[in-house]
Order: sequence, then structure tokens, then C-alpha cells
Amino acid sequence: MKIEFPSGFRKKFKEILGDEFQLLESCLYKKPKECIRVNTIKITKEELRERLENKGWKLEEVPWYENAFFVETEESVAKTKEFFLGYYYIQDAASLVPVLVLDPKPGEIILDACASPGSKTTFIVELMKNEGLIIANDISPKRVKALSFNLQKIGATNAIVTMMDARKIKKLEMRFDKILLDVPCSSSGTFISSFSVLEFWSQHVVERLSNLQKQLLKAAVEVLKEDGILVYSTCSLDPEENEENMEYAIKKLGLKPETIEVKGLKYRRGLESYGKKIFENAKHAIRFFPFDNQTEGFFVCKLRK
Amino acid sequence: MQAKKMSESEKKELKRIVEKNYGTKIDFLHFNCYINKRNEIYLVSKLVDERLVEIASYSGLYFGKLKRNEKIQLSVEGSQMVGKKATKNIAIVDDENVSRFMEGLECKWIELLNCELNNFVLIKNGNDFFGTGILREDKIESLVPKARRIMRSIRKV
Repeated sequence: MKIEFPSGFRKKFKEILGDEFQLLESCLYKKPKECIRVNTIKITKEELRERLENKGWKLEEVPWYENAFFVETEESVAKTKEFFLGYYYIQDAASLVPVLVLDPKPGEIILDACASPGSKTTFIVELMKNEGLIIANDISPKRVKALSFNLQKIGATNAIVTMMDARKIKKLEMRFDKILLDVPCSSSGTFISSFSVLEFWSQHVVERLSNLQKQLLKAAVEVLKEDGILVYSTCSLDPEENEENMEYAIKKLGLKPETIEVKGLKYRRGLESYGKKIFENAKHAIRFFPFDNQTEGFFVCKLRK
Repeated sequence: MQAKKMSESEKKELKRIVEKNYGTKIDFLHFNCYINKRNEIYLVSKLVDERLVEIASYSGLYFGKLKRNEKIQLSVEGSQMVGKKATKNIAIVDDENVSRFMEGLECKWIELLNCELNNFVLIKNGNDFFGTGILREDKIESLVPKARRIMRSIRKV
């Protein structure tokens, strides 16, 4: 069956990618590599590796994070004893990146403002070694339920789940050392996992989301401590949701960009321009497309208050 | 989260009940314990402000549920915390039966260690603990919550 990008999407990304557009098109017929993250709160990497390899699984360490594996197995990764026990978490390897950039430390006070279903939150808990405090927030009851379930399964004792519109997060009357703002987005970078995301893609949707994302940025900056770190990320490929909002955070909200390096990951710097828009600070950010690492596409930038 | 912070004496009582049922003392030193109206107990890091627990939708780790007659049903995570040093109410099950347990089905045991009939028992397979079930005369009833169950295949009804 022939699958095609929506015409508006095709036109936009041909302009952005030039000759590389055909690489993006080739991802229409691929799936991302299956990835699991070791839950180091419950088990060591070596123990889990041994257990899974004894069952015949092929494991390849994710080049940008030592405690995650790309896996090949006949078994369903979601139907094993080890998964039931919470020894690993299933996630796309790309979504490890925003948390690695955030670099959570034990004892810090961290906000994950749009947290559900919890791939990044649970990873933050692990890197904090269950010490300190993470506030994991989401807006909908259904999503909060999924988030709580995943936090329970990894054994989190330092997490508090709140349910509110993140634009009103200052109601918590708290200040944070670090904030992860992985905002609701068009998810255009995830078409490699689920093509259906592009059924909802339109330039109008992207622009509407871009406005919402700016509001979320503004609210997050208000609760960030002086000198605190905010990591802004999306699984969108659209510059309006990415570089444009990064510029907004720097020029309108007064944040300072920090240059990101992620060892082992194939990425490129943010777009320096799109159409008539110039993005002066995009050189500090990273973006990667589904064809770069056979994962979902992401944009990530790091900003200091 | 509508739950009350347990006092030190209530925590001490909780420790006693865990020891009575599973033969091991558990250290709640780093946690505040919260109990809700359904007698469900949550462990929250001591660093977490009490005010936050009050406004949260969910806080910390669900440890288990206090039942009548000084019994306590443990969550999967609660059983993992208690299990390693437990000496009582442990049912050792084989791979086939632990799969049934994870599906929410009744299962059989290979061996019972100091078990009391009609009480909660820790489900052990290899060195892993899978939560608690209820020991009946000829079977163990699985108490795995629906959301956590793992279905291996479609079964004929």
C-alpha cells in the first residue's frame, strides 16, 4: 500500500530538508527500533541483560544512554515477567534525550510540567535515585492515571502527581531548580511510530499549538528559580513549535541559551531560518529527524534563567 | 490526595503488622506513610512537603492495604520491598503458574513457606516477588489489579 505525506506537510518539509526529504519519505515504510530502558531503581543493567539474553533476546546498547537497549526478540516486550515486575520501561529511544539534557541530580526540585504518560518522568526519578522531589503534572484525569501507574511500577517515592493546566502552575507556590517542558505538540516527528498523527497535522494546528506552547513557556519561566534550567522539547518537526518558541523564550522571557551536546546521537543544530524568520539562537539547540537514528524526531533546547 | 499522615506510633503498628504477617521488619525511616479512607498506605519520601501531598492527585508509592484481623495485602512494589527478607507467608510458584498469576488467574504452588490458610501470601518465582495472593486450600487467588495484568493470549471462555 502506498503511503503519502499530506500535501501541505510534503511541501513544507521539502523546503526545509531539500535533498534529504527523500530520507524522510523513506521513513514512511520503517518502524522505529524497539527500545527498553533499564529501571535502575529495581535492577542493575547487568542483571537485566543476563536475564533477557538468556531468553534469546538480542540487545544493543543505545549509543546515547548506557542503561537503555535496542531489542530484537520474538517475544512481546510488554508481556514478560520482567516488564510486569517493573524491571524495564518501554519507550522510544529519542525520548531519552530531553531528560539527558536536563541532567537531573539527586536532591533537586524538578517540575515535569506536561508529564503523561511518564516516560520522561520515570527516567527523571531514576536519575535522581528517588531522592529530591519531582512534581509531575498533567491536565487530564485519564493521562494522570497512566502517569501514576507508571510511577508506581518503577517504584517512585519522590514523585507527586498534580492535575492542572500547566499555564496555572504558579498556583503551586513553588520554585524549581529544573523544569522539563515537553509540550503538547503536533507530534509530526512521531509519524514513524504512528502515521495517524499526520491525519491531524495542518499548518493551522501547528500555529495554534505554537501559541499554546508560548503560554506554557511563560508560565514555566515564572516558577523557575534564578539560574535554574529549563529544557524545552517537542516531538514535532515544525519550526513554529521549535526554533520559533526558543527565540520567544530568549527574546521575550529573558532566558539564556546553553549549547547542547549529546554523545552518540546523530543530530543537527536548529534551523537558522525558515521562510522570512531568522532564528539567531538555534545553533544552541538540537533537532533530529526519524531517519537520523531510526527513532522518532525531536527538537530539544536548554535555557537558563 | 485525601490521605492522613501516619503518626510515629501508627507507623510502629504498621511495622508490627508487616512483621506479624511476613516475618520481617521493614524500615520506613526515609518515608512518611499516608493512609486513606480505604486503608491504603502510601510511602512518600520525607523530603516531600506535607502540603504537596494534600493537593496532589497521587503521591509516592502504593505499599499495600490494611485488612481486618491485622492482615495486610501488599502491592507488587510492597512485596518487592518486604519479600527479600520475608520468612512467612511465601508461596513459591513455577513459571507456568506465575504467568497465570500475572493474568489475574488462580494458580498453584510448588512450595509454601510458613503459610497461613486464607491469609495473603507473597508470590515468589526465582528471586522475584510478584505481589500478594490469597491462599486457599487448593489454590492461590491472584490479586493483581486489572491494569497491571499481563495477558499471554486470548483464552476460550
